[in-house]
Amino acid sequence: MFHWLEKHPFFFAVGVFVSIAFAGLIEIVPNFAQASRPVIGTAPYSTLELAGRHVYIKNSCNACHSQLIRPFKSETDRYGHYSLSGEYAYDRPFLWGSKRTGPDLMRVGNYRTTDWHENHMKEPQSVVPGSIMPAYTWMFKNTADINTAYAEQLTVAQFFAVPYNKEVPMKDGSTKIVKMGESVADANALALEEAKAIAADMKDQDVKDAVANGQIPEIVALIAYMNSLK
Amino acid sequence: MNKLYLGGAIFTILMLAFTYVSVGGSEGGLNGDIVNMLAIAGAVALVLISVFVVIKYVRQMQTDTADGELADESWDNIGEYKNPVPMGWAIMFLGTMIWGMWYFVIGYPVNAYSQIGEYNEDTAAHNEKFNTQYESITGDRLVEMGESVFLAECKVCHGLSADGIEGKAANLKVRLEAKVVKHVVENGSNNHLLGSEMPMPDRNGLFNNNTGALITDAEIDAVSQFVANGMNGAGAEVFAGACASCHGEDGKGMEYVAPNVAEFTPVLVVNVLNHGKKGAIGTMPAFDRLNAKQKEAVGAYISSLSK
Repeated sequence: MFHWLEKHPFFFAVGVFVSIAFAGLIEIVPNFAQASRPVIGTAPYSTLELAGRHVYIKNSCNACHSQLIRPFKSETDRYGHYSLSGEYAYDRPFLWGSKRTGPDLMRVGNYRTTDWHENHMKEPQSVVPGSIMPAYTWMFKNTADINTAYAEQLTVAQFFAVPYNKEVPMKDGSTKIVKMGESVADANALALEEAKAIAADMKDQDVKDAVANGQIPEIVALIAYMNSLK
Repeated sequence: MNKLYLGGAIFTILMLAFTYVSVGGSEGGLNGDIVNMLAIAGAVALVLISVFVVIKYVRQMQTDTADGELADESWDNIGEYKNPVPMGWAIMFLGTMIWGMWYFVIGYPVNAYSQIGEYNEDTAAHNEKFNTQYESITGDRLVEMGESVFLAECKVCHGLSADGIEGKAANLKVRLEAKVVKHVVENGSNNHLLGSEMPMPDRNGLFNNNTGALITDAEIDAVSQFVANGMNGAGAEVFAGACASCHGEDGKGMEYVAPNVAEFTPVLVVNVLNHGKKGAIGTMPAFDRLNAKQKEAVGAYISSLSK
């Protein structure tokens, strides 16, 4: 067999490739499959959170704020536990970054609240003197795109088996079910329900009125997304 | 043969000339510049060694013959002698195999670098250092530590001077503001301020013992002003009638029953840091990633603000 291989360099090259590829396969694939599995406590995004994520990406928040806590004491003291790859299982795309003009937001939901975000997005300098972050006042007026968020939910549920309407294990041993609407109208109703809970903690009367009228301003979706980052 | 040496000599001279021109032409030239002198000396040595080693092997190829027993195998009529493996080569080969086994079994698994491992060591070292330096501090040093933690973690909501930034968060310079007292009396509270669940009823469960009736709007306003003024003023009777049975005559609270409403205490602050809080202004998240000493320090700092 080896004589035959030595006389046929093309097939010899194919054999070499197959051997090395096989080694790579058994070393890389199981490890990758294990590491990219969602960690316990990571749940898929709800419709409103996903719409907020779209607002976040649309306004390029990730240009200044990373979502990646590195395993250094100085970072974990400030931002919380270092990031695990499985925590990004439902992030499409992930929003890592190597440059931080503003602080990391990977776990901002643990230490900032709805009312703080409201003050901060309206006038950052009022809560953080000297901050260079611009105000995002239009988020209080623009309406969030719930339909696109729902379309993304449907897509990822179908193609990537993201567990919507299924039990997801949480850190305290309980389970959580993230609901996805049956129809577009259903999804909008679910998002509105969630938005009402957020708006109840907000002060801006225009936002409260809009939510009461069945509209969801971008700021509500964005705050829902911020609060989900834990 | 002479042709080969002649070519070598011409090539050497050309290379040296080229080196001389490029080095001598640079700033400072050759005169007195030790670095340039060394460079050209090195270049001369390199050129001479290269040229004459090449010539030696070219000559050897032209004249050498090999002998020995040919192996059976023949690849495209290129044969191979059955000469023994050179000793140095064999030792290197075996040595590499032994090293490989050692590295695979012991070297790599035991000494492998792990980022998380380094993080854990780093964290343990930091905690050790923190404990030896700060575990037993008290008094002013504790307040100083509390201030630095406050400026890192709390100032984004409560403001640099802890005044709550115009009502965006609780004003920590006073124990309770009138609107906070009013909110709690009207809506009740269950904020784990004692460390465990201990709900306070809303206004429908608060009787004024002086009048024997539920607390009224006017009485709520009076007692709110009284507590906000540091337990001073007109609402003293209402407080004595409606609140003192749990919060104490002096408002300093009772263990397991009701928190101190007259002043901040470190324990109260630590409980808020551990459990978070929801009240008149909004929600405060729990800050349980601070360590115990840091929480105690924040408690000491906040207690010091209103004294």
